[in-house]
Amino acid sequence: MLVRAFREEEKMSKVMFHGRECPHCRAMMPLVEKMEKETGIVLDKREVWHEEKNADLMRSYKSVIAAKCGGQLRVPATTATETQDLICGEVEYEKLKEWALK
Amino acid sequence: MKKYWRCFICNDIHYGVRPPEVCPTCRAADAYIEVTAAEAAQVSLAKTSMDKAGFRLAMEEFVSKNEFQVNPDRGKVEMLIEGIFENEKSHGLKYCPCRLRTKDFEEDLKIVCPCNFIMHETYKDKEDGECWCGLFVRRKK
Repeated sequence: MLVRAFREEEKMSKVMFHGRECPHCRAMMPLVEKMEKETGIVLDKREVWHEEKNADLMRSYKSVIAAKCGGQLRVPATTATETQDLICGEVEYEKLKEWALK
Repeated sequence: MKKYWRCFICNDIHYGVRPPEVCPTCRAADAYIEVTAAEAAQVSLAKTSMDKAGFRLAMEEFVSKNEFQVNPDRGKVEMLIEGIFENEKSHGLKYCPCRLRTKDFEEDLKIVCPCNFIMHETYKDKEDGECWCGLFVRRKK
């Protein structure tokens, strides 16, 4: 299922799943924007509680996300589709930037 | 396996493996009979409704005798309650805004707010522990 999801979303290489009313997601957004300006790496941001297509996409990553997020589909979940390297939850700026530059 | 039970005296609804020996509402002993989920839902829907202020009060009552409290960050709490009610409106239950439901009903009951966060790594054995979304935080000693 994961492989299929990658094929369906070929343009997507780094994606951030987030929720509109999630405070951790809200707190991460300025850091993501800063990182995007500094590195030129743009995340594909997918809101999952109000956009069912995005929710289904996140569910297709369940095995990857749940493994690092307490067995659940927690947001924010920021993942690189090629390496499956994932950040679960709110992190400091330097960690986000380091992850993006890998 | 959990089932639904109804007190035949006062229509109190209980969901659990076994019924309460004494009804917590009317204090009648051995008063519960097993009922269907549909009956339990009908009885519950007829008796209850809760707006955001009511939910806030219910949370304060819930935490009053526990080792945790509602997060003192009012802005964060307002945002979370907004999300919880959005999720109830769109998806049927007060799902946590910081975790996506899987579409497996039984599994998703684990993310209905308040969830069993005391077992989560973000709370357990942590002095500054909090539930994943941050709605509940450990009370300072």
